[in-house]
Amino acid sequence: MKNKTVYLDNAATTFPKPSAVTDAVYECIKNYCGNPSRGSNPLAMLCAQKVFECRETLSNMFACPTENVIFTYNTTYALNMAIKGIMQDGGHILISDLEHNAVLRPVASLQRDGCVEYDTFEAYAQTPEQIISDIDRKKRPDTRAVCCTHISNICSYTLPIKEIGKYCRDNNLIFICDGAQSAGHIPINMQDCNIDILCIPFHKGLYGPQGGGAMLLSEGVSPPTIIQGGNGVNSLEYFMGDTHPEKYEAGTLNTPAIIGLCEGLKFVNTQSISEIQKHDKELFSYTLSALSNIRGVKIYDHTPGSTLLFNVEGFSSDEVGEILGCDGICVRTGFHCSPLSHKALRTPSHGAVRVSFGSFNTISHIDFLCSAAERMCLRKRRI
Amino acid sequence: MTYPSSSLSGRSCSASLGSTTLAMKAQRALSAHAINASVIKINSSKTRKGCAYGISFDCDQTANVKTILAKENIPVREFL
Repeated sequence: MKNKTVYLDNAATTFPKPSAVTDAVYECIKNYCGNPSRGSNPLAMLCAQKVFECRETLSNMFACPTENVIFTYNTTYALNMAIKGIMQDGGHILISDLEHNAVLRPVASLQRDGCVEYDTFEAYAQTPEQIISDIDRKKRPDTRAVCCTHISNICSYTLPIKEIGKYCRDNNLIFICDGAQSAGHIPINMQDCNIDILCIPFHKGLYGPQGGGAMLLSEGVSPPTIIQGGNGVNSLEYFMGDTHPEKYEAGTLNTPAIIGLCEGLKFVNTQSISEIQKHDKELFSYTLSALSNIRGVKIYDHTPGSTLLFNVEGFSSDEVGEILGCDGICVRTGFHCSPLSHKALRTPSHGAVRVSFGSFNTISHIDFLCSAAERMCLRKRRI
Repeated sequence: MTYPSSSLSGRSCSASLGSTTLAMKAQRALSAHAINASVIKINSSKTRKGCAYGISFDCDQTANVKTILAKENIPVREFL
């Protein structure tokens, strides 16, 4: 690793983590990592208690019942469980034009297998009214659900989930929301937004470790599970049973990650989401202004938030990433697992460069990035 | 509302709730009403379906426990 690392890839995973997170994970693995809900030995019970406390914190943060906090291994798992569970009997689903492959690939695969059909509604650069109108136009009698991201993973464009949720509620559709880029960055109240299923990661805006995610279900929402196995209860039965959350949690949970997440949630709550949002916007606005002043830099979307997308004239996005990497600057290049979004934003065939901010980024990090980008452009002009 | 604990019998009763999550949720709900309960694994010989968790509490609180858990929509498989 370089002597100086400037980490600006927080949309991929936040780094560094608060020291309380790393300490808690280490402490757990070293001193008490039993298997929660497996037997009743003291370590199993201690871990079960800690896992329960984490469920409670998430349920308070996102407004859903404690037992409806389902732990998974990442957001993609959660989205697959939600989409494939809800669409198990077939039908039609609508997704937005800003979806990550975590949503696109499950629905495309279901359609290819002849189980489900999907359509895409326009969300990028549309007003909430236009978005709802397009959803309404594309809704069919057999439409069962709308699934969309809250915030794009390539820029800070934010979908009007309150309006989409209300439309779904009024039209008896299940609303599945991908909160991968918004959890911890914007307050999300599942009840206020009529979100039936919210899928979130541990390791991004909530500052937990990788290898964990959650599917949060509203009161009364209980899709069939697509994964079966041991869950520590009803061991003599051949089927999983209907008790939440164990109905969905087959196999051993990632206990150290859950315990780390608990500290990440405390960090977010201590900072407060509104302050985090303010910090994101300050860095965004500074970066936007600084990069805009560099001749040869093209910025794709100006919505303020934690993520900014750009390209440098004369370089492919991967070349930019490589050059920045030589200076110790970590960004993400290419297509960000999000072909629909790149199409919507009309980025070139080589994709684009994404910088994304976290709580530990400062203005000096942005200055470092912008100096490197400026040097790149100057060098190109001289050639 | 808190429930009087002055005349507790000391005898322990239990309720099977299925999972540790529900058992801990029940424990929280009872604790909010000043009723002490412990999360336990239900003795396998007492369950037909295999492993189950529940809570243990003073038998004199059984009526209160039933009322609180019903009010909190926490389903009880059976009182043992």
